[in-house]
Amino acid sequence: MTLPFQTDDLDLRILDALQQDIPLVPRPWEAVADRLGIPEHVLLERLETLSGEGILRGISPIIESRPLGIAAATLVALPVPEERMREVAGVVSGYPEVSHNFRRDHRYSLWFTLSAGDEKMLQKLLQEILERTGFSRDEILDLPTIQKIKIDVRFPLAGDRNGGLHGQE
Amino acid sequence: MSGSLSQGTGTGVCMDRNDREILAALEGGLPLIPEPFGEIGRPLGLTGEEVLERIRTLQKDGIIRKFRARINQRKLGITANALVAWDCNGKPAGDTGRLLASFPCVTHCYERKPVPGRWDYSLYTVHHGYSRNEVKEEVRRLARRAGLSRYLILFSTDEFKRVPNVRIRENGRES
Repeated sequence: MTLPFQTDDLDLRILDALQQDIPLVPRPWEAVADRLGIPEHVLLERLETLSGEGILRGISPIIESRPLGIAAATLVALPVPEERMREVAGVVSGYPEVSHNFRRDHRYSLWFTLSAGDEKMLQKLLQEILERTGFSRDEILDLPTIQKIKIDVRFPLAGDRNGGLHGQE
Repeated sequence: MSGSLSQGTGTGVCMDRNDREILAALEGGLPLIPEPFGEIGRPLGLTGEEVLERIRTLQKDGIIRKFRARINQRKLGITANALVAWDCNGKPAGDTGRLLASFPCVTHCYERKPVPGRWDYSLYTVHHGYSRNEVKEEVRRLARRAGLSRYLILFSTDEFKRVPNVRIRENGRES
């Protein structure tokens, strides 16, 4: 394991600024740099570094699923024993319809999200995953989405939480 | 257009090939050069201003929800991730969910169909923090505010896959 990259206050201010929607103007970086009170080339250099370090995954549009015809989604939990975790997680992650696949601290140990065009396609996919991994309907949890109430993934970084940044558990 | 979008948002999908190409190109991230939209448009024969106009329209039509940085919070020390399952205990899930969602520390909030008698949790929130204790404390505060006493904190121990829900390159549905 390599040591974590040490961010400074400017890095954190930049990351905070970019977690708001970027300005839709021909020179967006210049606009962001102005707001931060730094030259555009300094911002771009910092972004290259943060991106190279894997801290910045990218600045991209987040696309709404429903207008693109993805109308059904569910959260599934499987009780995977320790010795089968790697194998089962691998099968599940292989599906492009799975966007999140996490191991969690519970008897239901593998949690993943599955989405499809409609309810029928969704159930067909889930059935296939269960057959391939050897779980039956009554030992898993299938928790269909009724409504998305909030999705807003942001991490306020600069300021008072700064002190905890490099602290370990 | 497939015409099969019975549950569309009202405006329907109005994306042409260029829109899809723009979204696919942007999945790799907005280029880190002074005029990134011009760069995105070049292979398509579009000017930067034309690309911007299309992005604004996609945003107005509700196809682009947000346009911002995605960061890997783990690399910044934010390593605790919890999914919290809430039992609303007879309270209306929608109202309770909106209350939970109003707290800035909640990044996701979903109402889901429970499995009655076996798994009675109908609201799900996601929390992040620098330590498990920080997250636990936050969830306790939320529970008090929302008047909920039955909940389960599910910390993640491995992240096998985490990608945006919609990826045009990998699973965009061609018309």
